[in-house]
Amino acid sequence: MPLLRSLLIGLALMTAIVSRPVYAGPDGGELYTEHCSACHQLKGQGGIGLPLLNAKLADVSDDYLRRTIRLGRPGRVMPGFMRMSDAQVNAIVRFLRERSGTESVAFSDQAIAGDPARGQLLYTEHCVKCHAADGSGEGEGTGVTQSRDRSFLVMPASISNPGFLASAPDEMLRRVIAAGRKPSGMPAFGRDKLSESEIDDVVAYVRSFEQQQGTAEGLDADERPTHVYESPYDFDMTVENVKASLTGANFRIFPDRLLEQGLIDEFSVNTRQIGVRFCNFNTLYGMLKIEPRLGVVLPCRITIMEREDGQVLLVVPNLRVVSRWFNNDELVSLWDQMEETFTEIIDEVTL
Amino acid sequence: MSSRAFRALSLIILLLFSTTAAADNMVMGRVSLRGEIVLEYLTSSIEEHGYAIAHIQLCDGGMTDFGYKSDLYRVVFFGKIDEVRKISARYPELVAYLPLKIAVIAEKDETLLTVLDPDALAPFYRDRELRIQFARWKSDLMSIFEDVRRSTAGHRVAAD
Repeated sequence: MPLLRSLLIGLALMTAIVSRPVYAGPDGGELYTEHCSACHQLKGQGGIGLPLLNAKLADVSDDYLRRTIRLGRPGRVMPGFMRMSDAQVNAIVRFLRERSGTESVAFSDQAIAGDPARGQLLYTEHCVKCHAADGSGEGEGTGVTQSRDRSFLVMPASISNPGFLASAPDEMLRRVIAAGRKPSGMPAFGRDKLSESEIDDVVAYVRSFEQQQGTAEGLDADERPTHVYESPYDFDMTVENVKASLTGANFRIFPDRLLEQGLIDEFSVNTRQIGVRFCNFNTLYGMLKIEPRLGVVLPCRITIMEREDGQVLLVVPNLRVVSRWFNNDELVSLWDQMEETFTEIIDEVTL
Repeated sequence: MSSRAFRALSLIILLLFSTTAAADNMVMGRVSLRGEIVLEYLTSSIEEHGYAIAHIQLCDGGMTDFGYKSDLYRVVFFGKIDEVRKISARYPELVAYLPLKIAVIAEKDETLLTVLDPDALAPFYRDRELRIQFARWKSDLMSIFEDVRRSTAGHRVAAD
């Protein structure tokens, strides 16, 4: 009878699945709610993410929106949705268009020939106040926390961001500089402030930010999200060695936590699986300024576990892999260095 | 067919037909309420989904001396003992990512919930059992976030 019941439930489930409109395209509204509304809000009012104003959407091409969704804004809170299908990205763009009643603007992909040196002078005079000297839009930080100035009507765009530059063609930059962006407070420079050739010079300078960007080194094909090492010592000695080595490397060690602690009563917890948690507050502070969401992988921890056969393992997250989940090259570079520190610590422990 | 195998098969079928997209590496939720209130809703939803709260860590505690500003920064650790035991026995390398954790970052009346998308680990494993586990976690996390969103919407209405 249980088998019959399972089969009937299975049949009902299959019927439900097959009767769904699986051939219809993805629902842009649903995708928007799931992936975008956390930051841009349900109606696009903005908050953590920039407002998706109708006037702004009317100023950009579908291609710009598609690339922005795909590439995100590395180093900022906007992730790059590389794993979405083209159909899903297109569905979100269609949804934005329908909701705003706007249409795509056609921009040429042709580079504009301006003089970046002259553009730099003009940029310093007219643009630095909001976009900052490095184009980052008012200093470091991702916009998630108070690390950024929040007194602007909206946060000034990071126009040196690689995701932005790869999404916006020169002609779009020219148009935005000339016409401004009224809803976000950006003035129009095309009337009596800058000539057409001066605007082209500024475009050339903004484009030159691309050359100042470093690219994070890729991962090796066989790289794993975790390192697992066998300890030549017994469990207690390994724990002691880890703590000594971390202290030597200037990390502050937090009270131990057993892996199962808090998940089951204290008498049933496996005491041979322990997480040695540690931190260097100074380093962490610098990292949180770069990436406030780091909490999802904190604190740094080395897990020491004794297996049934007595073998003691050290389990350490591979920071090279973890840092690349954040779409933030600056963090990647810092964590690649930190990974070397971790390797040295483990070498010392397992020596 | 055992009921366990049937459930696994059902989940695979659902995943194959699902039109829901995987978020890229992070799942994020945003609520227009103070962090302390959101934290309460979050922990109760986590428990309603069958997880135990292992502990809640203050992330900003030691940071203020360095000038770090945050109205509230907590990390909620949670898990299911049977899952943790199974994974630590079969896939010890994954204990680095257990218990699961959600970061709660608040600024005035805005609170951001962030969690590592378990699917970010999927490309490293071909094991079907693990992929099902990642999908189940993802599904629970999405459901927890949705729960918090709905509950807090109710909270706002009540407050108004």
